[in-house]
Amino acid sequence: MLTYADRLKAMRETKIRHTLEKKKQNGYTDLDDFGTVPITEDYEMEPWYNSSNGSFYGYEGMCENFCRIMDAHPPYVDPMEMLCGRWRDMLVNYRGDLHYMPDWLKKKPKTREFMKTATNQWSKRWDEQRFPYDDLKPLQEKYNITTGIDGDAHFACDYSIGFALGFGGMLEKIRKYREINRDRKAFYDAEERTVLAIIRFIDRHIEKIKEMIPQEERPEIKENLERMLKTCEAVRYDPPRTFQEACQWTAFFNCASRIYTRDGAGFQMDRLLYPYYENDVENGAIDDETVKFLIANLLLIDPHYYQISGVDENDKDMTNHLSYLILEAADSINIACNLTVRVHENCDRAFLKKAVYYLLKNKNGWPRFCNDKALAEGYMRNGVDRKTARERIAVGCNWMCVPGREFPMNDTVKINIAKVLDVALSEMKEEKEKSTHRLFELYEAHLKKAIDVTARGINLHLDHAWEVTPELVMNLMMKNTIEQGKDASQAAEFYTVGVDGAGLAVVADSFGALQTRVETEKVLSWEQVYEALDNNFQDERTRLILNSSPKYCHGGTVSDAWARKLTESWVKLVRTQEMPAGRQLLPGWFSWSRTIEYGSKVGATPNGRRAGEPISHGANPNPHFRGDGAPTAQSNGIASVQCGYGNTAPLQIEFDPKVAADDNGVEIIENFILGHFRQGGTLININILDGEKLMEANKDPELYPDLVVRVTGFTAYFASLSPQFRQLVVDRFLEGV
Amino acid sequence: MVRGLVADIQRASLHDGAGIRTTVFLKGCPLSCMWCHNPECISFEPQELFYPEKCIGCGRCREGCYAGARVLCGKWMTAGEVLSEVMEDTAYYNEDGGVTISGGEPLAQRAFLGEFIRLCREKGLNCAVETSLIYYDEEIFRSLDFVMADLKIWDSGIHKKYTGVGNEKIKEHFILLNKLGIPIIARTPVIPGIDQGIAQISRFLKDLRNVKQYELLPYHPLGNAKKKALGQTVVEFPVPTQEYKKELEKYAYIRG
Repeated sequence: MLTYADRLKAMRETKIRHTLEKKKQNGYTDLDDFGTVPITEDYEMEPWYNSSNGSFYGYEGMCENFCRIMDAHPPYVDPMEMLCGRWRDMLVNYRGDLHYMPDWLKKKPKTREFMKTATNQWSKRWDEQRFPYDDLKPLQEKYNITTGIDGDAHFACDYSIGFALGFGGMLEKIRKYREINRDRKAFYDAEERTVLAIIRFIDRHIEKIKEMIPQEERPEIKENLERMLKTCEAVRYDPPRTFQEACQWTAFFNCASRIYTRDGAGFQMDRLLYPYYENDVENGAIDDETVKFLIANLLLIDPHYYQISGVDENDKDMTNHLSYLILEAADSINIACNLTVRVHENCDRAFLKKAVYYLLKNKNGWPRFCNDKALAEGYMRNGVDRKTARERIAVGCNWMCVPGREFPMNDTVKINIAKVLDVALSEMKEEKEKSTHRLFELYEAHLKKAIDVTARGINLHLDHAWEVTPELVMNLMMKNTIEQGKDASQAAEFYTVGVDGAGLAVVADSFGALQTRVETEKVLSWEQVYEALDNNFQDERTRLILNSSPKYCHGGTVSDAWARKLTESWVKLVRTQEMPAGRQLLPGWFSWSRTIEYGSKVGATPNGRRAGEPISHGANPNPHFRGDGAPTAQSNGIASVQCGYGNTAPLQIEFDPKVAADDNGVEIIENFILGHFRQGGTLININILDGEKLMEANKDPELYPDLVVRVTGFTAYFASLSPQFRQLVVDRFLEGV
Repeated sequence: MVRGLVADIQRASLHDGAGIRTTVFLKGCPLSCMWCHNPECISFEPQELFYPEKCIGCGRCREGCYAGARVLCGKWMTAGEVLSEVMEDTAYYNEDGGVTISGGEPLAQRAFLGEFIRLCREKGLNCAVETSLIYYDEEIFRSLDFVMADLKIWDSGIHKKYTGVGNEKIKEHFILLNKLGIPIIARTPVIPGIDQGIAQISRFLKDLRNVKQYELLPYHPLGNAKKKALGQTVVEFPVPTQEYKKELEKYAYIRG
């Protein structure tokens, strides 16, 4: 008889096989794993385009294509699992976004034809014929801005809405409000078809399970399939009533929202699932082992971002028995997993220790840790009450969101400040008097322009997203969307939009090197620096003079002071940018995994970085920031550049792999986390990697298809990353040793 | 004001005692262990280390080396200056973590060490030293939370051959230190090919009730590059095999 442990092992093996198959089908992807399964041979999605530029938009375009892609998706049922459903393909693939497009789709002649006019930066996700922004493009390019225009899905659903309604309840709600808001018929029709497509998707799973049951000979697996069938039948229309139903309902919804816009925002798992757990336990319907298996299964289906632990609005600890089971479940499956532990001084310390223990034991980059105090108090500075600030949970790479009520666009908007420095340097070259003071004035002037054009892009997006990419799936679980007949981009209560700066360390170290070597020590002249920048450091000595100048995160250096000054300036300029309709911009430091791409747009910089080399990662320091690479120094540095207001400057760190999963090791990491948070840090992503394994995997990734690394906020299978990106992870690791 | 010759300050040190620690390496040691992994900490003078593989051949050494090829080791610092660096990490020390003064032989710079420990204690920092126990200083030891001390070889003649000094005083200091009631972590670097008498060392230490732990530290050749960079002759020792480490494992212990 197969035990849960046997079945988990089989599920892990299937996952590894899928990772390798996906690599063959998709090519390298420097992206989240997303939990997808490989495309089947006969899979065919025939997109319907409703725009003369060859793409599709609006209620009709998005809805029709969502129905098509959902209907094209074959059901996925693995008899080893208790839950079913997976996704394979996503709508964005058919809207000309090269960033996401997998190799198997690029090979199709129709796609090639369609992609002819798309570029890396300007895809067809946005309907430029109706909502052009040619006036913004020159400055967006000049400052290498990731605009957020058609940055979809970066907000969070309120799953309690879905759990209460079920898909049937959603249909009834849509139909009810369609009668009230008769002028919004197109919206409601699209929402109705969206829900019906999800129900059809579930129904195909029901049919598939029915086909499998008679063929299954193992009694325990047959029983499992029968239970799965009952669960799917229960949730196809009605709201979930049991723990298994709540997990299965989530799995189906997540498949749909991933297919639609890759939405990866989960929920406060130990809070929302707890009533189902409590009820089932009371009724003797479930035991803890089954609960753990179900959660492991849900985490396997999709690495959505879930938060656990934390405190409520009265500072009362929310950690419960289910919080522990979630950690144990994640440990049992131990795959790419985006669990975030919310840390507060009132939280159960034993729980934090356990979370740290799993991080050390599995060396798979989970869980992550976020700081309640800095995030909640920061967000309250936007004029938000404490209860709301507490409800704002970690549901993305670097970002938080109030589920159902906020439209933050966070992580979709970035300004490459290394590029801004590049522009400022070029301008100062023509001037007679050169100084870091003058350079900073020019940098700030250009940054102001960059923020202004970014804000205009954000407003364009917020004004028209509903006409381009209405969030038909996520709208189902937002407040006021169905009620008012409006898209989430129009109906949100809070437009607290995250704007991240990228390249902090490059810019801080550049100013630091110029001040130290040119102005204080006078080892180099401005002319020598400009000559070196122009010829991309043909003279290695000049490069080393600049590069060896004390860096940001060393502690107490000129560059540390510059990093703080740059942060003050960044916060001031972002916060004073005027926005209409109560919209607010929230400054943060984060580059996502775009360090290579951003670096390719920036010339040589005065910190000794050659033209085209990657920029620094998020708020992290440059390599060799200290001889001892002390993580505490890095932590102090990053804590000192937090921007407040609820956006993050994450501490992304590779920790000494020799720290053992014993009491001392746990205490070291725990003290490290608490030390960073006491000083105001917001989010910590820790990799504790097995060095030998990493080096071998870098040579031959297929040796370790289950090796997971936390790339930025998200985790990825190392084998799926591009060689260039793998090297970045290895370099970061070597720096941390 | 007394100054100490500091070779390095290493923050977030995770292997020099419990918790997160800052390790201050003082320069100068009366021993000269052939396998020493911090050979730059033996001389009592500032020294230049030269790493030819990092040299870019610019020919402008006199104007300063920025390539990391010529590195100066040894900086005269006041206890206050060292303390301010140590205080950078107070957020992480908690109860167990703190500062470890290592070397070199930290007790060789007695005045500086005493002053530095006094300042650390004023700040409530957990303090430890890593010492060869060639010196004994009750006042210093009494001001510490624990002591990490080496007994490298049992036989004094062999000890002298490989470290330059006999070990009679070291053993005597172990006995005296034990009487102070301060927790001791005793350690022996494991060097294959030398008759270290680890069994005898282990027995000797077991009788000292304040030796809370006896650790065996496998030799590693990381000090060789620094020895070469100092222009010194490198004596090669083999790295202990897994079998050898396994064989000796039984002598290490944690009391209680």
